Amino acid sequence: MLEEALEHLVRGIVEYPDDVRVRARRIRGGRVLEVRVHPEDLGKVIGRSGRTAKALRTVISALSGGRYVRVDLLDVNEVR
Amino acid sequence: MPEKETPLSQTDTTEVDVQALEQEGEIAADYIEGLLDIGDYDGDIDMDVEGERAMVAVVGGALDELVGKRGEVLEALQELTRLAVHRQTGNRTRLMLDIGGYRERRRAELTKLGTDVAQEVEQGGSPKPLAPMTPFERKIVHDAVAAAGLRSESEGEEPERYVVVYPS
Repeated sequence: MLEEALEHLVRGIVEYPDDVRVRARRIRGGRVLEVRVHPEDLGKVIGRSGRTAKALRTVISALSGGRYVRVDLLDVNEVR
Repeated sequence: MPEKETPLSQTDTTEVDVQALEQEGEIAADYIEGLLDIGDYDGDIDMDVEGERAMVAVVGGALDELVGKRGEVLEALQELTRLAVHRQTGNRTRLMLDIGGYRERRRAELTKLGTDVAQEVEQGGSPKPLAPMTPFERKIVHDAVAAAGLRSESEGEEPERYVVVYPS
């Protein structure tokens, strides 16, 4: 559900919604949601002084019922 | 620093494009409704235009999670919703989102607070600082203090910015 919610929230605010990909990974002590967007949209999902990234993280934490979820924002070409 | 607390009475009185505001409401409602569906939240969406603002309210029970402590989740959702509207219309929006009647309740509480503190300061004669509040909350307090005939200013830096009420 969290991946789907995050994908919906991000798709609504970017220029290239079809390029949005969300992947969930387990890490020790929680989960990571990795969001990939078109390179031109990366600035948009981060926002001025990280405001938009913070808003996305706030909403996802609320939806997860307070469990720790890390949200990473990347562009589609970044390798990790 | 940009100040977001311009009293409504001072905004220009150019003709309000109600249709454009209704369109903002529609886009916002779609965005929020999608989230409610995914999260399996029960909630109906009310849309309205108040003055120069589109208003979208999610009403129903069990929405506390989407409001959060001090309304922080609500503020985050409003910010994202405004971005979603901006992407589709190309225009900045002052759309206001409410969830579970939170803003309405806060408005009533803060209006009372502003009125009470104004009275206290008028009698006591010394300025009184209040607790940190969001821009939305400070605006309500400023309005209530002004209605009581006193002066107030916002001081400090976000997110710890607070209202100080002065004897006029």
